[in-house]
Amino acid sequence: MDTLINVAHGFGVALQPVNLVYCFIGVFIGTLVGVLPGIGPISAMSLLLPITLSGTPESGIIMMAGIYYGSMYGGSTTSILVNIPGEAASVVTCIDGHQMAKQGRAGPALGISAFGSFIAGTFALVALMLVAPKLASVAIAFGPAEYFSLMVLGLVVLTFLTQGSMAKALLMACIGVVLGVVGLDSITAQPRLTFGRVELIDGIGLVPVVMGLFGVAEVLLNTEQAIKRDIINAKITNLLPSKEDWKISAGPMARGTIMGFFLGILPGGGAVVASFGSYALEKRLSKTPERFGKGAIEGVAGPEAANNAAAGGAFIPLMTLGIPPNVVMALLLGAFVIHGLQPGPLMITQNPGLFWGIVASMYIGNLMLLVLNLPMIGMWVQLLKLPYNILFPLIILFTIIGVYCSSNNVFDVYVMIAFGIIGYFMRKLGYEPAPLVLAFVLGPMLENNLRKSLILSQGDLMTFIERPISAVCLAFAVVLLIGPLLPVLRRKREMVALDEGA
Amino acid sequence: MNNDTNVKFRLNNSELWGGLIGLALGGFVVWSGLKLKLGTINDPGSGFVLFYTGILMCLFSAAIIYAALTEGGPTLGSRWENTRWTKPLLVIVCLIAFSFALNPLGFLLSAIPLMLLLLRVVDPVRWPLAIPIAVLVPLGMWWVLKRLLLIQLPSGMFEIG
Repeated sequence: MDTLINVAHGFGVALQPVNLVYCFIGVFIGTLVGVLPGIGPISAMSLLLPITLSGTPESGIIMMAGIYYGSMYGGSTTSILVNIPGEAASVVTCIDGHQMAKQGRAGPALGISAFGSFIAGTFALVALMLVAPKLASVAIAFGPAEYFSLMVLGLVVLTFLTQGSMAKALLMACIGVVLGVVGLDSITAQPRLTFGRVELIDGIGLVPVVMGLFGVAEVLLNTEQAIKRDIINAKITNLLPSKEDWKISAGPMARGTIMGFFLGILPGGGAVVASFGSYALEKRLSKTPERFGKGAIEGVAGPEAANNAAAGGAFIPLMTLGIPPNVVMALLLGAFVIHGLQPGPLMITQNPGLFWGIVASMYIGNLMLLVLNLPMIGMWVQLLKLPYNILFPLIILFTIIGVYCSSNNVFDVYVMIAFGIIGYFMRKLGYEPAPLVLAFVLGPMLENNLRKSLILSQGDLMTFIERPISAVCLAFAVVLLIGPLLPVLRRKREMVALDEGA
Repeated sequence: MNNDTNVKFRLNNSELWGGLIGLALGGFVVWSGLKLKLGTINDPGSGFVLFYTGILMCLFSAAIIYAALTEGGPTLGSRWENTRWTKPLLVIVCLIAFSFALNPLGFLLSAIPLMLLLLRVVDPVRWPLAIPIAVLVPLGMWWVLKRLLLIQLPSGMFEIG
């Protein structure tokens, strides 16, 4: 009963005209960046982070969340019609989605992808509604040792899942922690690594770092290759999948939804891993696995459901523990912090309007996305024809303006350009920026909780082992750290390791 | 990766250089941590986390260097093989020039040439299209920010904007 009252309260917040407008802007931009190759949800969210300052916290977070789950919908359109993933979680959709389009079945592929995304997104929200308050009530008992260990686990899982060498990913995470603690020490007020620059006293801003590493670096990488597009030009008809399509897709959608939701909750996991996992599962369960790669509708329905369910599930650790499980959620945490809010176990009780408003807005956003992605598909197809040589200078200009507006400080523009160049060379040398950004956000919290737990336990390191939740998290982290040394685990890691930042 | 690009014991092994840069950064972080004072385990100081993170950085960098020396790795040049490497280089030069020009010239006088250069240097956009985009987009953005959002962009020594 309480849940229903809370949901009604949430709809009261989400249905306010201003929040509806922000929700629409979020899902619209999300679809847009999902559709456009070369700019993903991370770049778009970092670009729009400063804009959240202009409204209420509810409006800002509703818009940012909309960008994330909206990009999951939009990404599939590009995968199916152009064979280029609009964002990383749609890589798998290219395999069978584009084959279906080539066979003249672009309509059903887009249709099942949108309906699958809608159903999975809605399920994830119901689960979020039911699980989050329960988990939050448990999380109140967490102390600094538990938080520290959870953050360590989150970072280790992300490095485990990052493409390429694990040592490189761990090095990136360490650099992220160091960058995160630049500025005044929150306990002793001593300036650290500021090099005498007043601009660094408050630390390095999240917006310039993320915009540089993801926005500018992505543009630099894209300019290296002439982007060729194999756009399906035929008119898209029959968006509603047939009875047969539904029959074949129901199982994969259900499995993808459940798998995606749980993978989304796990720290370091997320939409990308979920979509690959779902594809592998469906191929293994299929009686005709040879159809996969040649236009099997299950290969579209399962992964699309999985990545949307994961997008919903990823909100749970952020909302209940205050720990972002992936880079996108780290940006959302940034948006909360900009508004002076700290997501965590107390947020649901102290700020019910905010929590339930965001959840309710996601229902509304999912409905908006269904309309945006089915009847209005023609508009997105036209947009795909926008040449990249016009698009990328615009992206650069928007990032410059976005960074400047976030702080009214030219120094941040320099920081962004510097991180853009560093990010480009990092990617070229096989160093992924995702662990760096997550560690950058978690760094100050990680340090605070480590120091607090050491002070509280009077320097007894056993405090991390004696507390069961902390011990379990650290044990998992150790297993994942030594895992790649074992050939079996190394092969498994290589199978699931993905470019989260794309 | 072919045998020409996957080399062992060569100075132009990109993995080796990546590891060495990491090691240097790690060393710097350790030194910074020590300078800031470590404190004690009961009461960790400002440099405590930095110091231990620096040590971890050195360890991970050492692992990268070890792998580069024993398993080899692609050469620096091979990382840019079959790419239009001059294009990102040109964009980087444009961005650096822009960052130097932004404060003295102001937003409009630096953003318009930046846009024009970016539109022309990578995959050249036709002049009749490039010029209006390069002028109108920064102008439009400036107008929205200044008039609607009341955000003052740098106006530079000429006070334009």
